[in-house]
Amino acid sequence: MPNAINLTKLTLSECQDYGEIIIAIKGGCVYNLFMKEMSLAQIKANRKGKILEVLGDANLQNKLMNMGVRSGKEFTKLSHIGLEGPVVIKVGRSILALGHSIASKIIVEHE
Amino acid sequence: MIKKIYLIGNPNVGKSVIFSRLTGVQVISSNYPGTTVEISKGYLQLDAGKVEVVDLPGTYSMEPTSSAEEVTASLLKELQKNEIVVINILDSTNLERNLLLTLGLIEEGYPVIVCLNMCDEASHRGVTIDIKKLESILRVPVVSTCAVTGIGVKSMIERIKESSPVARNRLNREERWKEIGNIVEQVQRLEHRHHSLREILEDASIQPFTGLIMACGVIYASFKFVRFIGEAIINKITDPVFLNLYQPILERMTFYWQEKGFWFHLLIGDLINGKIDFKQSLGVLTTAPYIEFGMVLPYVISFYFILSLLEDIGYLPRLAILLDNILHRLGLHGYAIIPVLLGFGCNVPGILSTRVLESKRERFIASTIISIGVPCVPLQAMIFGLLGAFGGYYVGGVYLVLFCLIIILGVILNHAMPGYSPEFLLEIPSYRFPPLFMLGRKLFFRIKGFLIEAVPIVLIGVLFINILLYFKLFDIITDIFAPLIKGVFGLPKEAIVALVIGFLRKDVAVGMLMPLSLSAKQLFIAATLLAISFPCVATFIVLWKELGLKDLIKSALIMITVSVIMGGLLNFVILR
Repeated sequence: MPNAINLTKLTLSECQDYGEIIIAIKGGCVYNLFMKEMSLAQIKANRKGKILEVLGDANLQNKLMNMGVRSGKEFTKLSHIGLEGPVVIKVGRSILALGHSIASKIIVEHE
Repeated sequence: MIKKIYLIGNPNVGKSVIFSRLTGVQVISSNYPGTTVEISKGYLQLDAGKVEVVDLPGTYSMEPTSSAEEVTASLLKELQKNEIVVINILDSTNLERNLLLTLGLIEEGYPVIVCLNMCDEASHRGVTIDIKKLESILRVPVVSTCAVTGIGVKSMIERIKESSPVARNRLNREERWKEIGNIVEQVQRLEHRHHSLREILEDASIQPFTGLIMACGVIYASFKFVRFIGEAIINKITDPVFLNLYQPILERMTFYWQEKGFWFHLLIGDLINGKIDFKQSLGVLTTAPYIEFGMVLPYVISFYFILSLLEDIGYLPRLAILLDNILHRLGLHGYAIIPVLLGFGCNVPGILSTRVLESKRERFIASTIISIGVPCVPLQAMIFGLLGAFGGYYVGGVYLVLFCLIIILGVILNHAMPGYSPEFLLEIPSYRFPPLFMLGRKLFFRIKGFLIEAVPIVLIGVLFINILLYFKLFDIITDIFAPLIKGVFGLPKEAIVALVIGFLRKDVAVGMLMPLSLSAKQLFIAATLLAISFPCVATFIVLWKELGLKDLIKSALIMITVSVIMGGLLNFVILR
């Protein structure tokens, strides 16, 4: 296994060869496809999960954190309006609607 | 010595209701975040004297993340900390998130009173909070209130004097959340409640399929109700009063009035077949009050009743979710539906509430769209009254034209303007069913606002127009604009008077069209032009204040261009 690999040129099957190490690049961040980690925009509605990380600029991170979206929090995805529409989640005791591109910056782990 | 009291808290926790309770000053409160766009001030009588109370826009934490939060943070720093009291209002059903701001305020050294609002809602949802314990942990006074019914507000006022700064270690972000977790664990007890009908409805309204069906149903029903209530008021109350009570009095007056000169023209106007015709006479005592009270006011009442109901229930943020997709194409996001809906009442509050949108770009697009494509209630009422006589088909046509215009204009502006629009991020409140007296008060407040604003302008406006008409001063502009009005729009040249008056008030402007006996097509064009051309002067001033002179000119140029193009298109292509 080579020490340095060009992540951007990796195909999915090659990724699997590297097993648990890495695995995909999105928004400049590396995350793992095999631990069922994906963005909030990718998982299906009516799933529960845990927030792992919020990408994006500091202002967005702060804003989301103030509204209760921070790593370690459990959530339920309530709904997702089609055609890249907003995602609705329940986190803590509040219900939040997030635009599609915000939702795709929230990395989660689901059951 | 307390100089000022600030009300601060997360969005949509009931700050404005508490403010009204404390000061008696009525401000609009609704069940969605960001209702307070203007900072309201009032006074509270304490033992030591009168103290100013300030209602601040909703804020999540002491570190500002939006312009509204920056305003809040800077206002708090205006006075010395020992001269103010900060009443921190919390939503009892969501203690954890609300405590972030509370800890921030206490750490900064402000004298804080913690007010756990919506206590009734909390007990409905199975949330109990140990107030004594919370008080001993935070070491500041904690009171439980239910602002809507007024429970607990009195004891909160009594405890204002107990507030004083307490020393508390400054925590970093992680430590603070951990601390909050500890506090919540100690003071809050949750009971599991089964899904109620309310929760099922809440959920259905945000799902793609059921939500869309509900949205169509709600919009259709609202429209039907507004028409039904408005027409009922006109047929059962205002028309009988005007025709059976007011008209005989006026006619007896005119009977004794021998010389029908200048004053007669001003006050009564022209007699139609020897009789007063409220729709055509155009006098200060005849047509002016009839337009305002007989045609517009009934719809103002019915529109604001339905709008207030939807606002207080908390349906509008859910509509915003469903419409986010479409509005995105216009360079806006879902929440822009709130200013647009308010604009259907009156463009002024609509444009003011574009402050809920973050970027200047969004505010420009939203304000321009509202002033061009969103007719206010007075204008709509007059369109119903006049064009409706030719069939509902025509009225629907005006709405269709305006809707297409909004979409086309929004898409063009979105592509033409540099920058991009921020994303949708909104907390969705749960449904609440407001007590009727709250709804009634809000309705009364809004109607009072309408009357104070509209009636003087309408009376003075009609007086002024009559003087100009009497001395034939309109003839000059009539002749200048005749080629445009006649040649392009296909209207009689006198219609320019109505378009000019539209700058003063839209309802009077349509009133000016009434004696011209226009055909259905002409009326259609004139009504559409009145909606899309220059907004009325009140809207104009607000646009100036909100956008600045440069953007106002840009917006105005767009309005003029669009009106000329649309007028011509309607006349030569669409309605040929």
